[in-house]
Amino acid sequence: MLRTTLAVVTALTLSTSLVQAQSAWTGGDELPTSALACDGTAATPVAKAYDGGVPTNPPDRKGKEITVVDVPKLIGIGYFDATSKGIADAAKEMGNMKATTDGPTEANIDDQITVIDNYITQGVDGILFAANDPVAISPVLKKALGAGINVVGYDANSEPDARQWFVNQAEFNGIAKAMIDSLAAEAGEDAPFAIVTSTFTTPNQARWIAEMAAYAAACHPNLKWLETVEAQEDNILSFNQANTLINKYGDELKGILGMTSVATPASADAVTQAGKCGQIAVVGLATPNAMKPYVDAGCVKSVVLWNPVDLGYAAAYVLRAAADGTLQPGATSVEAGKLGPLQVINGSEILLGAPFIFTKDNIGDFDF
Amino acid sequence: MSVEAAPSLRPQRGALTRFVSAYGQEVVIACAIVLLFAVVSAINPRFLAPNNLNTIVSGNAYIAVAAIGMAMVIITGHIDVSVGALIGVLATISGTIAVSGAPVWLAWVVPIFVGMGVNAIVGALIAYGRIPSIVVTLGMLSILRGGLVSVTGGAWINNLPPEFLLAQQRLLGVPVPVWFMIILTIGAFLWMRYTAFGRSLYAIGGNAEAARAAGIPIERRIVQVFMIHGAFAGLATILFATQLKIIQSTVPPNLELTIITAAVIGGVSILGGTGTVIGSTLAAILFSAIGSALIFINVSAYWLRAVIGALILVTVLADMLRRNREMQGAGR
Repeated sequence: MLRTTLAVVTALTLSTSLVQAQSAWTGGDELPTSALACDGTAATPVAKAYDGGVPTNPPDRKGKEITVVDVPKLIGIGYFDATSKGIADAAKEMGNMKATTDGPTEANIDDQITVIDNYITQGVDGILFAANDPVAISPVLKKALGAGINVVGYDANSEPDARQWFVNQAEFNGIAKAMIDSLAAEAGEDAPFAIVTSTFTTPNQARWIAEMAAYAAACHPNLKWLETVEAQEDNILSFNQANTLINKYGDELKGILGMTSVATPASADAVTQAGKCGQIAVVGLATPNAMKPYVDAGCVKSVVLWNPVDLGYAAAYVLRAAADGTLQPGATSVEAGKLGPLQVINGSEILLGAPFIFTKDNIGDFDF
Repeated sequence: MSVEAAPSLRPQRGALTRFVSAYGQEVVIACAIVLLFAVVSAINPRFLAPNNLNTIVSGNAYIAVAAIGMAMVIITGHIDVSVGALIGVLATISGTIAVSGAPVWLAWVVPIFVGMGVNAIVGALIAYGRIPSIVVTLGMLSILRGGLVSVTGGAWINNLPPEFLLAQQRLLGVPVPVWFMIILTIGAFLWMRYTAFGRSLYAIGGNAEAARAAGIPIERRIVQVFMIHGAFAGLATILFATQLKIIQSTVPPNLELTIITAAVIGGVSILGGTGTVIGSTLAAILFSAIGSALIFINVSAYWLRAVIGALILVTVLADMLRRNREMQGAGR
């Protein structure tokens, strides 16, 4: 039994070792890239027909007070507390939206469906959601559309035709641009750097790396990519891998890009313990809570992610516009209060905008 | 069967030969480590720099410490696939105590006792419930992993007091994790070799019925060995949780497999009865040295898995061949 288990495990590890993706930088995928302009001009979206759903015979809600329920993946965690705050801020600003947040206490799709179903029965004008499962949530959302309710998603999508719009927090090329721009600004235009990622085949990370390679080639051609190392989602392994990079390259290494919320703080800790703060810039994707010790100590200057308060805020404005009928299928942008006009992409998605950079000045405002 | 294999026809064996036959796997691994360091440092001398040796040994000492307990469990003929999840849970407990304002020694010591408590339950289910260890520990793996995410909600611990970070400290110029690894390995080795309790573990794994006939209380021993294993998981947790300024509230992926693999490649027979913790510690060092070496000589990290996979196969195969030979020898 045990022998068989070990043999299977061995066979699996051997076979995965044969799968390798190719891109300019190791760890990127082979899909086509779409690097943004160096100066940040918004890319012209690829024209795509509206593929969202439409509520059945909604009452005229234009300008009237509407009741909206926000159903995040779960309640009681910092991230979704922040999106709720954004929704509440927007509702207060607009004055004609009554928004409440209610959701499961665990990220459980069955509980989430029950919550949404209850609100459909009670009768609300709008539903905002962040799906625990894109497929499983779709039937209950379609039921809401069928009842004439306006439905808008954020953070985690459903199937497109189960909601009207989805507010997309960040596109791969946007994150890639923010990462590479921050690296070049902190480490220098000709800095040699390395990447610590989860695995070379993790879909999101592979996409970001491929987009970073494309953007760097176009806008920061002198940045010198040294190598990419894998560290799973394991903080001690990430720490050891970052240390090994520091040991291998010595003073040549000027920057480390962390591709996960685990790799980035661990790389920052390695740089701190090696006494290389200020000599090696650590830039990465991570949540503010994981990065606070390093940002507060001044060892890390830029943490790239999106602002969940803005995400909730934008979702509320999109829902209001959909209810008012000012955001119709085929629109190319939507007004979102203080965020200004936001671009429509991929048929029925609203792009939140450029990623948010957490720095020493603002990281204390976030708790997720 | 070759004629040489028959002990009666062999000339008197010297001390060296006896040593090599008793500690074959440990010698092989030690030689592999030396060879690896020689080759890689010839290609890139920075591999041998003190910082890198520190990364290799200190950064992975927690795996060696956890593998000591795992080796004991495997030597008695059992297995534990829940230890990675246990270490994840214990790290969160440790960090929670550390940030609560309680004395830091409490944050270090409590995980050891919690580890013993959890594994007392596991051991009792195996010994008295007569449920195979792989089943019990798979169940425990799910409970611990799910429980951790439910309780913490994925939140990280990030305001650890500096004095809590034991693994970053040094004693006489040597990092604390290295001291842990050396002292615990040698202590456990001597204990297993020279005490009646320690030797009974080999007896149980070698032949449980014979051990029972010899008066060893097998059920109680199994519970005890799992509790000791839990204590080592707690000791590994101290190193794991205090290495960085933050504690991740998720279970490190595949940690249990790494720990089991260290024990098995170190010469602990997966069928029980043989092996030493010197071997498991050397194997843990070998892994991390291979991982580091692949980066130094620019070989894809995928090869690490392939190399370790191949090492498992070779080690298990060699173990099987040795056992077959011994059985045939005994049958004469």
